[in-house]
This record gives sequence, structure tokens and C-alpha cells, in this order.
Amino acid sequence: MSSKLTRRDFLRKTGTTAAITSAIATTAGAQMLQPGHRGDTRVELVPSNCEMCFWRCGILAEVKDGKVLKIQGNPNHPLTQGKLCARGNAGTALLNDPDRLKYPLIRTGARGEGKFRKASWDEALDLLATRLNDIKKKYGPEAVAYFPHGVSSGFFGTVMKAFGTPNSAEPAFAQCRGARDVGYQLTFGRPVNSPEPIDLEEAKVIVLIGSHIGENVFTSQVTAFAEGLKRGAKLIVVDPRFSTAASKADWWMPIRPGSDIALMLAWMNVLIAEEGYDAEYLEKYALGLKELSEYVKPFTPEWAEPLTDLSASMIRETALAMAAARPAVAIHPGRHVSWYGDDTQRARAMAILTALLGAYGRKGGMFLPTKLKSGRIPLPPMPESDKGRADGGGSKFPLASEESQGLTQELVEATLTGQPYPIKAWIVFGQNVLESIPQRQKTLKAIEQLEFMAVIDVLPVEQSDYADLVLPECTYLERYDPPAIVTTAKRPFVAVRQAACEPMYESKPGWWIAKQAAKHLGLEGYFPWQDPDDHLRRLIAPLGIRESELKSLGAVSFAGRPYIEDRTEDDGPLFPTQSGKIELVSSVLKDLKFDPLPVYVPQDSPPEGFARLIYGRAPMHSFARSENNKWLADLMPENQVWIGPAFAAKGGVREGQKVVLQNQDGIRSAPIYARVTEAIRNDCAYMVHGFGANAPKLREAHRKGASDTPLISRVKVDPIMGGTGMRVNFVRVLPAEEA
Amino acid sequence: MNAKSLPLIPATLTLDQMREMQQRQIKKHHVAIVLLHWFNALVWFIELSTGLGLISAPAFRIAPEWYTTMMTNAFGAVNLLRLHIAIGMVWIIVFLVYGVFGYRDYLHHEVLIREIGLDRDDFEWLRIRTLLLLKRTKEALPPQGNYNAGQKLFALLVYAALPIIALTGLVMAFHVFPPSLVAWAMLLHLVAVGMVVSGLMVHAYMGAVFPEEKPAFFSMITGMVNELYAYRHHYKWWKEIKEEERLWEQELEGPKLDDTSARSEVSPLKPREEGSPADNGL
Amino acid sequence: MARYAMVIDTERCVGCQSCTVACKSEWDVPEGFARTRVRQTGVRGTYPKLMTTFHVSQCNNCDKPTCVPACPTGSTHQAEDGTVRVNRQLCIGCGSCVAACPYGARFVNPVIGRVDKCDFCSPRLQAGVQPACVETCPAKAKIFGNLEDRSSDVYRLVYREGAVRSETSGLRIGPNVYYAGKEEMLELEMSSFLPGEPRTVPAAWVWTALAKKFVYLAVGATFLGQAVAFFHQLSSGEKQFEE
Repeated sequence: MSSKLTRRDFLRKTGTTAAITSAIATTAGAQMLQPGHRGDTRVELVPSNCEMCFWRCGILAEVKDGKVLKIQGNPNHPLTQGKLCARGNAGTALLNDPDRLKYPLIRTGARGEGKFRKASWDEALDLLATRLNDIKKKYGPEAVAYFPHGVSSGFFGTVMKAFGTPNSAEPAFAQCRGARDVGYQLTFGRPVNSPEPIDLEEAKVIVLIGSHIGENVFTSQVTAFAEGLKRGAKLIVVDPRFSTAASKADWWMPIRPGSDIALMLAWMNVLIAEEGYDAEYLEKYALGLKELSEYVKPFTPEWAEPLTDLSASMIRETALAMAAARPAVAIHPGRHVSWYGDDTQRARAMAILTALLGAYGRKGGMFLPTKLKSGRIPLPPMPESDKGRADGGGSKFPLASEESQGLTQELVEATLTGQPYPIKAWIVFGQNVLESIPQRQKTLKAIEQLEFMAVIDVLPVEQSDYADLVLPECTYLERYDPPAIVTTAKRPFVAVRQAACEPMYESKPGWWIAKQAAKHLGLEGYFPWQDPDDHLRRLIAPLGIRESELKSLGAVSFAGRPYIEDRTEDDGPLFPTQSGKIELVSSVLKDLKFDPLPVYVPQDSPPEGFARLIYGRAPMHSFARSENNKWLADLMPENQVWIGPAFAAKGGVREGQKVVLQNQDGIRSAPIYARVTEAIRNDCAYMVHGFGANAPKLREAHRKGASDTPLISRVKVDPIMGGTGMRVNFVRVLPAEEA
Repeated sequence: MNAKSLPLIPATLTLDQMREMQQRQIKKHHVAIVLLHWFNALVWFIELSTGLGLISAPAFRIAPEWYTTMMTNAFGAVNLLRLHIAIGMVWIIVFLVYGVFGYRDYLHHEVLIREIGLDRDDFEWLRIRTLLLLKRTKEALPPQGNYNAGQKLFALLVYAALPIIALTGLVMAFHVFPPSLVAWAMLLHLVAVGMVVSGLMVHAYMGAVFPEEKPAFFSMITGMVNELYAYRHHYKWWKEIKEEERLWEQELEGPKLDDTSARSEVSPLKPREEGSPADNGL
Repeated sequence: MARYAMVIDTERCVGCQSCTVACKSEWDVPEGFARTRVRQTGVRGTYPKLMTTFHVSQCNNCDKPTCVPACPTGSTHQAEDGTVRVNRQLCIGCGSCVAACPYGARFVNPVIGRVDKCDFCSPRLQAGVQPACVETCPAKAKIFGNLEDRSSDVYRLVYREGAVRSETSGLRIGPNVYYAGKEEMLELEMSSFLPGEPRTVPAAWVWTALAKKFVYLAVGATFLGQAVAFFHQLSSGEKQFEE
């Protein structure tokens, strides 16, 4: 026996890896936080995490006399390390937003009129319980649908489950990243999750397909991206628009929208033809290389050229660059991927490429999550429903499983049609159903048919004017939420969210609202914990950390085993698929009679005079959440529509002119300024999502810019998991005076 | 003495008359005016010292560098400014109080025209006085009122400049005005102060150094001047005083029904109270 | 003592405006104004060979600032560590310095009625903490330090790796915000955001060019006049009043 035992060998032999690593709450580099530098000893630094978007970057709130003065990043946070984006820095403006919901409100006028009267919490929760119980009696508990979003909505989710409804849907799955999670899970056995375990800083080649890092800002991802580029990584950006990321790219590939699968099949073709794949890795870990090789034979770069509008030479060049850099090739799995209805297959293509390059579980590619054994709070058994889910998850859409976050548009449909059974009440907690779910005309109609609608939110977005009951939740700065337990980081960690100040007005934290609602519904048994500290303690106890430690540091990290060579038995199988290996050819899809390998199906071209409507993010806004924020609105008060010069000329539209977009179904947008630029293909029209709020109570955001949501009147539903492809609408651009 | 017999220009006096007149004292300035004068002088001293110390930038500086450095080192620029503004505010308040309570006596336009309005005598006086200084004439100076022409000019300058200085000072001290206004305010503040300082040169010399005006200087302490000085330098004012005295005597004696001439001599002027001042003089 | 400087790495910067908001939050900068701002160059080139980049700018805390001599009250001054500071207690808000800055880095803050600008977060520096924008930047695109410290990153970037300044042949006042990045991008960035000309506000021009001379003349002339009269009085021995 060699005297030199590797650390891995030692740990494996002792078989107590998990226990040891759990117990060693390494806080390497973490320092106890000092009071602020303002020379004022009454300033406290309260660590928490942000919810201006959902990345949950670590923050420190500077608090004096119960008031939050300023927010900065928490240097102790292992992922974000003290960095914080524009929206995170603007959290104080949300806290002090004069338009915030302040009191429980009960509707007095007609639906949509926005007339309410103030009510006490008791009265409000009584009303909630009464109406829900009424509906339960008339139609059964399944007639209540829950539309949550955000960490704090989980508490009320427990109430809903305990109440007896299986119907809960977040846009995160069907409108956002569901397709990629399913696609990667089919291939590697794991969904992608959040934060994406993509090793940008160590990569030698970074590939972004539609991803617009830099405009889509997740703090730590921008850090890693910038770092990777600085270290010399080559950048390939596939995007019909010259995004910020594209401006830093070595190759900007202005692809014809919808042809990404063709491009990737051609890349696979080159990798296989030139033997640019990681043969050893595939031999060891993957199944289906032979079948794949045969399959991609006809998909040459020359074949792809007319389909993608990309030159064969560029396709070949980029494939070879990836091959040369393998396995340190980071193909970003994307985040919002619900584009054309074939999105699961496109995700599969990206996963296959990742596997071919040997990048999954390797440095510079994608790293593996390290599990954390967090605690569970044992609850009484949840009532079973024999009616099943109304959104077709697990049945109509077999891969929209229990773990997925539901199919929002299907719940809307079910409400409208009464099939498979009537849905008569909606509880919306932190979701903006009219902006996030496409075909809002349908959503509005569905709302009109409801017998009861309750909205729990921080800001009075448009939908609250349609509710029977509006409950004010306090901001993330004023409440406890379940801690972030993040496994998809190189060092897994737990990060706390705790109140930096008392809730303002009569707003309440999500946990309190849920607990109180449970009381009124007779479901207290499902909330066996006393208070936030009790809840937190139970969750983190198995990790071997104390909640006082967590609360004073903000985050505690643990040793991670991100790469294959670090893994131990306790981490479980490397590839938890059916076969235990990477499935280049998906057995599950085969069984379900879907294409086991991605098939390129061309998308419709825009009709004459129309361009495809595409949308994205701006770095100083979070979709439709931040437009009322004074500081952020100051930087970007409204959006513009980007159109190419040739397309603009055809429509008689000049740079800076106010225009109206009209889609293929004759639906018009609000007026919006035109940005005529070379930076976009002439068959596309791009705008940032989240503007054009139709919400008079949001005085800063109301009617500023235009919303893309009404223009998304058509969707292509992904048959595999039920996601809604939304980049399938076409628009004309008309000068505003003529419209 | 019969008022009708008072000549328009002073007659030559006998030595006895002169000696007699020199003994008598007439009230020229109300004590309120005396106080205000020295208050003003003190304020101007402090404000000029601090103000000149504050403008330190080379392009704007009026005082030499050694002065501004000395002042800022001794007191600190912030303290200089605080003092300058504080004293300035006190000054404004005091003048406002005077303005409110003494409006009738000091600010009413009739009073202003009478006391410091320039008449033909004043312009003549200015011409002849200048030529006298250059030794280019032998004419006699025309009679002057309560204030001579030079004093009137200075008064007019001060009446114009002080509101400008006060208002522009307020604009600079209270940060609620647009920057372009503040910049012009600073310019006007400095120019107005500069103008008053030039006038001050003459005022200080004339008041304190020029021997002929020595009684004027003391009048700013005692409030009184001797009658000979009044007769020589402010004949028209002396005449008014005399007429009032005569009227007062007549009142005491009672009206003489057959003396129509006396009644016709009743002064068309508003009866002036004994010792009420005309305005703040030089 | 120190010579603080900042280097903006254009390669890293993604134009996300985190710096702008962190600074606004730290210093209560009112809406519509910014101490540091991020602007984008236009898109240059013809499709598909395009270029664009971001330009981050703020007060450069210049070696030879044009704003300091323009300030009448001396409130704007250069500190020993090179930062150009505004003493709020002395500032009257006349805006002379705003016009004098060729980089447009200053503004009159309407809430406080005084001039406002970046001073590299001087109070934070004194407490040993990095400027707020440097601390928050997700891309780590802002590098800050002391140019007199040879081991610092800024020293290396400026003196060994050729970070550039925003200067022209006519304007070399030693700005201490430098720019690093790929040559082509830097050229695009610098040429898109050239400094302007230092200007004088009309009131200040009137004072320095005309009014000051006039006041000196008036005071001087009256003083001389009185001096002459005084000597005249002494020499000719003016008749005393009582004879």
C-alpha cells in the first residue's frame, strides 16, 4: 500500500464522508462582519439575501435605528462574494416605494375597477377561509388553483396542499426553464437547476445560445463570465441580435431564429467526423455514440448553412474551436428557453454536445452538484386527490412531473373550459399572471369566470385590481424566508434570508400569512414550528451549523465535489439516468414515442412585412418586477423595439420614432420608441420584457413603454413537458400616429 | 428775527454773532440713527474682513493672498463663512426692524426726496466743490440742506447697494436657487460691495479726517452740532430750524390777530418735531 | 501620501449600471443625476461585422484639475491623496466648476443646492473601505488603488500595461480614471466619448474680465483721491474751523 493516500481514498475508506463534510462547516475566508464604515456605531450590518430577482445574491443591509440605509453585497457569500447588481442595490427604493401594498383590501367595485376598502387581517383571512371552504363544499378542494412565485410562496403552498388541491403552477417551468431541465435530466439524469452549474471562469470556450449574459444579469454568473473571458476564453454567441455578450464574442453567429437545432446537429456532425469528441469519456460514461454518429451523418455544415443563415465555414470553425478546447467547453444551458415548442429537443441537443465534448462533470464545462443533507419538517400526511392535476402534468405532459412547478397556461385553460373539472378560485402569491403567462386575453377571460380570487403581493400590479381580496406581503428586506440551500455551486452553501427591519404599514411576511391562513382554515397542524427561528433551526440542524452563526455570517459553505474526479460513493451515481450512464439517445423519449434524438423542424418564416417578435432582459430591471422602482426607472424608464434598417425602411419607420406593434392576429401594443439598428436581423423585432404595465396604482411604471405579453397571442406548446414556446408571433411596425 | 428777513444764502456774520452761534448746540441726529451708524460700521468691518478672507480663488480674489491665507489659517474658511452669514443675517434683521418702525421717518418717499434728493443747489455745489479742490475757481458754495450734496450721493449709493448686497447674500447663503442665479448674485454682491467701499473712502475721510467736517464726526457720537457749523455748512437746514423756533415762540405767545404777516409765515412744511432727524447723514 | 486612481477594464464591463446604483444609494444622488455613469457607444460597422462597447465615466480627480481654480469660494479643492473634493459647507452652488469640467463630471445637486460629484468615495477611503462602485461591480471591471504603491493592480495596469487616459492634444489635465481593454474597443470607446472644453459661466467671466478691474479702479481712485486731499490739507494747512 502506498504511503501516499489521496484524500479521496481516505474519505472513501472511512465511509463517513457525508458526516464529516456536513460537520465541517468550513467558513474558509468568512469574516465576522464589522459595523459599517460610516463611523456611526449605531449602524448594524444585517446579512440576508436579495429578491429583486431570484438569484438570491448575498447582501448586507446597513441598518440604523430600524431603517435600512443602504444595501451592499455580502463578501461572505460563497457564490456572489460581495458583488451586487443594479437591482440589488436598488432594494431600498423598493422598501420605500410609496405605491406598495400596505393594508389588506376587500373589493368593493367591479372586477378590474380597482375599488377596494381597507380591512383588518382578521376580517381578510376570515373572508379567505370562508370563500375557500364554500368552494370546497360546492366543487371540492381541487377547484382552487395556486399561482405562486418566489421563495416565500412556499409556505402558502403548504396551506394549499393541506387544503387538498394538487393544482399549483409557477411560470418558471412552462414559461421559462422547464424544457432545459427536462432535456438535461433525460440526458444526464439531473435537471440543470439554479444557479446553473456552468463553469464559465475555467472554460476555454464559452458557448451562449440565445443567452444574453450582461443584459441578463445574475451577479455571480456575470462575475464568472467576465473572469473566464479575461483568462482568455473564446466566446461563441449564437443570437439573432448583437447583444452585449455578442459584442465580446470571437464569433457572433446571427442565426435565423428557430434553426438552433440545425446548427447543433451540424456541430455534432463536425465533432464526430473530425473525431473532436472526448472518446475516453464517452467510452466510460455514455451510451448511444454509434447511433448518434449515424444519425448526424447527413447534417453537414453545408446542409445547415441555408437553414441557419450561417456560413458553413463558420459552423465548422466554431465546432473545431470547441473540439480543440475540450473538455473545458462551457455550453450554457440557457435559462429562459421556452421559444418554439421544440425546446426540450433543443436542450437535448445542447446536452448531447456537452457530453460529446466530455464537459459534463469536468473543469471548464458543467460541474456536478454536491448534495447537502438539510432538514425536513415532518408534516401530517397531505390529503390525496383522486381527481388528479388539472394541468395535465404527468399525464397529458408526461414529463411535467410532480417535482416540476406545474403548467400555468394549462390551469388557465382548465379554468376557462371547466375541463377536466371546474376551477373556481385562484390564489395568486407573488406571480404576475397577466404579464408572465402568454395569451393574456385568455387569462383575463378565465379570471372573469372565477368565483373567488385572492392576490398576495408586494406591489399592486394589474391583476390585483381583479381580485376579491388583496393581501400585502412585506418585501424581502422585512421578512424571514426559508434559507437558500444551494447545491449547484462549486462550494454548496446555505444562505439565510432574515428581516433587516420591521415590516412597514400592515404588510406581513409570507410565513405569517400562511400560518394565519392555516389557522383560519383549521390546518394549523401543518405548521408545527413556532416562529422563523424554529423553522430555520429545523432545516439546518442536520448540516451541523447553528442558526446564530448563519444569521451573523449570512451564509455558510461546505466542501464541494464539483468534478467527476472528486466524487465519492456518497454522492450517488454520476449519471442518475435509467441506465446509469449519459444517454445520448434518450430511452425515456423513445418509450414515450417522442424523437429520441433531436430532429430539426423548420419554423415558419415571418409573413411579408412582418418580423418575429423576440424579447429579453435589461440589466437594470427584473422582468416585470422592477419598473416601478424609482432608481431603476431613472436609468431605464421605458423600453424600445429594436428593428433592422431594411425592415424599418419597408415600414416607413425612422430611428427614435414612436411606433405601435401589431401582431399576426391584429393585436396591437402600446406606443413604443423604435431603435433602428444594425445590431439585429431584419426578420426580428426585439424588446425588453416587463414594461407597459397597465397598472394605475404603479405610478412610476404605469403605461411606460410597451408590453410584449398581449402580442404573444399564439404559443407553440412543447408536447414533451408542456412548455409554451412564445417566440412564434410576428409583428408589423406602424408609426404611432397612423395606428 | 423775522423769518421773512432770512436771506436765501447765508449772510456774513459778525464775530460776536459767530461766537454766540458757536456756543449753541442743535440736534442733528436722533440717537437711533447714531446707534445704527456705528452698528453698520461694525458690521461692515466684520463683513469686509471675513468676506475678503473668503474669496480665496486666484481668479476671484480681491484681497492679497497673504490676507486670505492668514484669515483661513486663523479661523478656518467654514467659520469665516458662518460668521459672515450670521452677522449678515443680524444686519438684515436690524435694518428690517428699523425699516418697519421708522418707515414714516426714514423710508417714505417724501422724506427721501426731501432729505437726499438732489436739487439745483446740490449740482452747483458739486461743480464748485470739485473746482475748489483743483483751485480753479473762487465762487462761493451754494447753501446746502440737512445733508450736503456729497453726503446725499453717498446716501443714494448706499440705499441702492444695501438691498442688493442683502438679497444677493441671501441667495448665496440659502441653497435653494438655480446655479446661474447664484453666479450672478455673487457678481452683484462683489460689485455692490466694491462700490460702497469706494464711497466709504470718501465718507471716512470726510467724516473723520477732513478738519472742516470735525463737528460732523462728533455729531455722529453726540447727535449734536454747534449752530455756527450748521449756519455755514447746512444753511437751508439751519433756516428751517430757525423758522420752527420762531413758530414755536409764536405758539407760546399766542396768535397776534393783526399780524397777518406772521400768519402768512406759517411754514407750509409739516411741523417737525423738535429734534427729529431727517435721515442718517454722512 | 497617496495618489488614488481607478482603472476601468472595458473587456470585463457589461454595462449593467450596478456601479451607478450603488453610488446613488451610497451618496443619495437625486433622480436624473449620477456621480458615475455608464454610456454605450453606438454600434459601429456593418452587419454582421459590428462593434460596440461601454464607457464608464465619473470625476477623474485630475492631476491638474480645471475645476479647482474656477471655484470662487475655494470649496472645491485638491486633497493630499489626489482626490478632488467639494467642501459642502463652503459651496454656494454657483456652478462655475460644473462648466469648468471638460468631462461633464459635476452637477449641481438640486436637493442640497450645492455641487456634487464623485470623489472616489473619500469618506469610505478614510475608513479603509473600497469605493462603493468598485465593491459592487459584478464583472470586477473597476480596479482601484494607489498609484504610488508599486505592488498595486492600478500601478501595473497604468505603468506596465498601458492603460489609457481620456485626453486630447488640447486637453491634458491628468485624469486619474484610466481605461484598459482590447485596443480596438478602447479606440472606439475613447473616440466616442471625447472630453469637451472647460468653460466659464457668464457671471464669472464678467467678474474676472471686467467687474473686478472696475472695482479695483473705483476703490483705488477714491482712495488716491482722498490721499491727495489729505496731503493737500496737511501742506496747505486748511483753516481750522474756529479762528
